[in-house]
Amino acid sequence: MEIKNKQIIITGGASGLGKAMAIELCRRGALVSIMDRDKERLESVVKESGVAGFSVDITDPKAVENCLDEFAKANGAPDVVINNAGILHSEPLIRIGASGIELHSLDTWHRVVDINFNAVFYVSRCAINHMVRKRKKGLIINISSVAAQGNAGQSAYAASKAGVATLTSVWAKELGPLGIRVAALAPGYTETESTHAALSEAMLKEMVSRVPLKRLAKPEEIVMGIVSIIENDFFSGKVFEIDGGLVL
Amino acid sequence: MIAMAGNVEKLMNEILKVPIEKIGDDMSMDNVPAWDSLKHMELIAGIEKNFSIELTFEEIIGMRSVAGIKKVLIARNQTV
Repeated sequence: MEIKNKQIIITGGASGLGKAMAIELCRRGALVSIMDRDKERLESVVKESGVAGFSVDITDPKAVENCLDEFAKANGAPDVVINNAGILHSEPLIRIGASGIELHSLDTWHRVVDINFNAVFYVSRCAINHMVRKRKKGLIINISSVAAQGNAGQSAYAASKAGVATLTSVWAKELGPLGIRVAALAPGYTETESTHAALSEAMLKEMVSRVPLKRLAKPEEIVMGIVSIIENDFFSGKVFEIDGGLVL
Repeated sequence: MIAMAGNVEKLMNEILKVPIEKIGDDMSMDNVPAWDSLKHMELIAGIEKNFSIELTFEEIIGMRSVAGIKKVLIARNQTV
């Protein structure tokens, strides 16, 4: 698929990797719309890059439906949807401390699964509805993670990202006959604000030591993966891993 | 006398694995267990490929039975 003039939606596009994707795809001539719940950052990216912005909480299925309907009314069915929004969270299942046992919080479990997994289902479900109705041979790209291999200390994050990879495989089989591709990209640990916010310097150092290339990925290296997936019409149902060779 | 199998019947046989002699115009998604939503997608893709056409969403909606499929294809001037 040629990127120029394609309607591309990016969730979580107001910061980090999503913002990097939005700017690069815009530069390549795509008509980019970003969805984010952080209004301030959203407005800032809209001003800075000229993308369209939709303020929406993607963990609310009704809000997602309304937002996709509004998008489709103005632009038709999307050509590409990048399910990028996500939060990185580290918390062990059980912590044994001086005061006893502390279990993984249920609140954080639900929050991470809601954003990283359920929202991918909500957004894709609505986007596919528009693609099929308009017979658009579109593309869904899900952002998984190297953590999907089963990273210790990241129950919610790793499970949600593994779930996203599985949805990719399922949907590629279901939608392939209609000409719709579904693919995933699994970045390794990347130089973004959220990585630094979620992991201590010690944890990051430990992660980097396990990467054969001995560094974090640069956001633009991950964005190049997105470009490759969009442009390669035979890539579907698989996870494109860009992790510097890291095996967890 | 055995009726000659048409293009639609051949395609249904190939995708749904239903014997050609059992395929009739009254066959539909409602009375053929093998004709589920996933097989329907394959059938739509097969029809588009075999007849070299691109179906609209409205046409697809009307293709839930052999009779419905033939009606759409005839309207498109295809030999069923």
